[in-house]
Amino acid sequence: MIERNSRVRTLKQNLALAAAGVLALGLGLSACGDDDKADAASGDGGPEKADIRVWLNGADTPDAAREWLKTTFEKDHPGSTLTIEQQEWEGLVEKLTTSLSSDSETPDVVEVGNTQAPTFTSAGAFSDVSDELGDWGGDDLLQGFVEGAQVDGKTYAVPYYAGSKYIFYRKDLFEAAGIAVPTTMDEFVQAAIDLKAANPEPANFSGFWFPGQDWRNGVAFVWNAGGDLAVQDGDEWKGALSSPESVEGLETVQALMEQASGAAKDGNEENPQTPFCNGEVGMLSAPGWVKGLIEDPEAGCPDMVANLGVFALPGSDGEPAPVLLGGSDIAISAKSKNQDLARDVVGLMLSDDYQKLMAAAGLTPAKSSLSSELGSDEFAAATIAAASNAKLTPAAPGWAEVEGSRVLEDLFVDIATGGDVAELAAAADEKITDQLN
Amino acid sequence: MSTTTSAPPETVAAELPTEPRPRRGAGRLPYGLVVPAAALLALSLGYPLVRQVVLSFHEYGLAQQFGRPADFVGLDNYRALVTDAYLWKVLARTVVFCLVNAAATMVLGMGIALLMRLMAGPVRLLVQGGLLLAWAMPVVASLIVWQWLFDTQYGVVNWSLSRLGADYEGHSWLLEPLSFFFVATVIVVWMSVPFVAFTGYAALTQVSEDLTEAAELDGAGAWQRLRHVVLPSIRPVLLIIGLLQVIWDLRVFTQIYVLQKAGGVTRDTNLLGTYIYRLGIGGGDFGTAAAVAMFMLALTVLLTAPYVRTMLKAEES
Repeated sequence: MIERNSRVRTLKQNLALAAAGVLALGLGLSACGDDDKADAASGDGGPEKADIRVWLNGADTPDAAREWLKTTFEKDHPGSTLTIEQQEWEGLVEKLTTSLSSDSETPDVVEVGNTQAPTFTSAGAFSDVSDELGDWGGDDLLQGFVEGAQVDGKTYAVPYYAGSKYIFYRKDLFEAAGIAVPTTMDEFVQAAIDLKAANPEPANFSGFWFPGQDWRNGVAFVWNAGGDLAVQDGDEWKGALSSPESVEGLETVQALMEQASGAAKDGNEENPQTPFCNGEVGMLSAPGWVKGLIEDPEAGCPDMVANLGVFALPGSDGEPAPVLLGGSDIAISAKSKNQDLARDVVGLMLSDDYQKLMAAAGLTPAKSSLSSELGSDEFAAATIAAASNAKLTPAAPGWAEVEGSRVLEDLFVDIATGGDVAELAAAADEKITDQLN
Repeated sequence: MSTTTSAPPETVAAELPTEPRPRRGAGRLPYGLVVPAAALLALSLGYPLVRQVVLSFHEYGLAQQFGRPADFVGLDNYRALVTDAYLWKVLARTVVFCLVNAAATMVLGMGIALLMRLMAGPVRLLVQGGLLLAWAMPVVASLIVWQWLFDTQYGVVNWSLSRLGADYEGHSWLLEPLSFFFVATVIVVWMSVPFVAFTGYAALTQVSEDLTEAAELDGAGAWQRLRHVVLPSIRPVLLIIGLLQVIWDLRVFTQIYVLQKAGGVTRDTNLLGTYIYRLGIGGGDFGTAAAVAMFMLALTVLLTAPYVRTMLKAEES
């Protein structure tokens, strides 16, 4: 008995200590990283030879381009090496926040989503590359991207590639329902609703696949109606979703979600190829590389490709609608010790040779003069048309906070479940205004 | 420590007559030995805590993370939070979620532990193997599977319920907050039951059979034996695992974060963990996030204080 008691007590004491440890560890939440002042970009541009680390995200960059970049850089700079470290898009902002602020861990060159870039440019995470802009292509570079990465007239990031979403549709279902490819927004909405009505089976069939969280597609309808997410008013930013124009756009969204979509009312827009390949989708809006997923024998359904057509979402005026401008920027970490070599890497990534390899993979090149490299098929035409009128999220410094708190996902889910649009928009505006100032 | 060892020999000599040397050494040596461990603890636990407190008094955003000086704002972060009804909603939600989950985990875990005592060897081995697998499964991997199970369109749960005649085709399990937390509870409890079951079972094997036998001879039924003999003997262990469960369920993060991405309305399903994340890492407002984390600290202390007090009391008696 006595022995057992003492054993229990020891166990208990150990556990108590462990509990205290868990408690303290778990609550010691703090921003990682250090306080060291950003001192890069000052004077000396770093050593002549170094190991350069380049972060590229996802599988977007084709292998041919990666190979070319590594061999060309190492040939131009004997003694230096270049390593491409692939990162995931998911959680990228968090990862960049922690690694870019560390002197020892920072990569030299990073790819960042074009709508994520302002978060870092305004925080001072990237080096000023205004002086190199001319050498890298100047006015030939996609101007929307360059402007999105400017703070007080200085440029902190350059375009890498663009690619806005366009509409994928089933030619066979269009034919069966006697629907023509829509050329205006009204026709598009009608086509989506008709398509759903013409296909009562399966019950979750979508004339236009529109999951509830998908505000990135939804914003195109707001912009098309003349509305916006947020507008600048003097020094202040204000949520603009409750303006009459925005509400009109959001009502179109609600009509599509309620009458044309069979997607989950609170789902996200990941893996659109799954319902498409399952025969549950008449139209969906996705980036061009989704074609690759549909063609993939493992993830997709190559036999459906014959019925696959594409077009750019039409606006009310018959021109392409203002969709969200998608794509990537490249930037140099302000804390990188190899500023000069990093600049050479970015120069190579914007060279015609490299950008042609990107275009061959279906990505819109960073230079307008190279867009013919995309080819001339239906997909290239849709890619170019969709990008021609694309828009960026508001250039407010606090915009990342709005996205981080998922106000927009929540708003669109509430709209999908049939809430009062004007009321919901007003509530969302209040939160957005609060977060932007 | 160095001052102890390099004390001038004269002092030692002078003190020798009045105080026996061995005692003096024994008096200081233990403290010296504790110093490295204490320093390490202070550094690894104290630093983040101090840093967090300091952070919560500053306006600290992404720009400050990259070197801009942070403005001291005193209690502004706290003032903004306390006057925001949302914080209190999240706090209440967190407490309820924590207590429900901790209680469910304890009841289920101890139930399995009690059952294990009665199982035949091979069956028990099978159950233990299953529990161990659930415990060892990486969180993210198991969450993907859970997400698939409850998927709106293709989930096997909806499919099975529809097969049984209920109308669950296209039913979203995450859309309603209550249903969302039900799914989260299932996942969290599933993940933490093995720990309670194993620890509880280990404690039960230590309960003296003489005692239960004696109680049985005295006419105590099964429930009475459990209530008055078995449970009191393993009380200290129960207290500790209860305490750990409360702490873990208060800090639950990954499960909620992943489910929020899969569906539901984030605003209505945030718990303290995800709220802090959305403010800090998600929104780049580290100052306010640190202030919310202080509320979490206070809440943990508040919720665990009774346990700790009971444990300390048991220690004294």
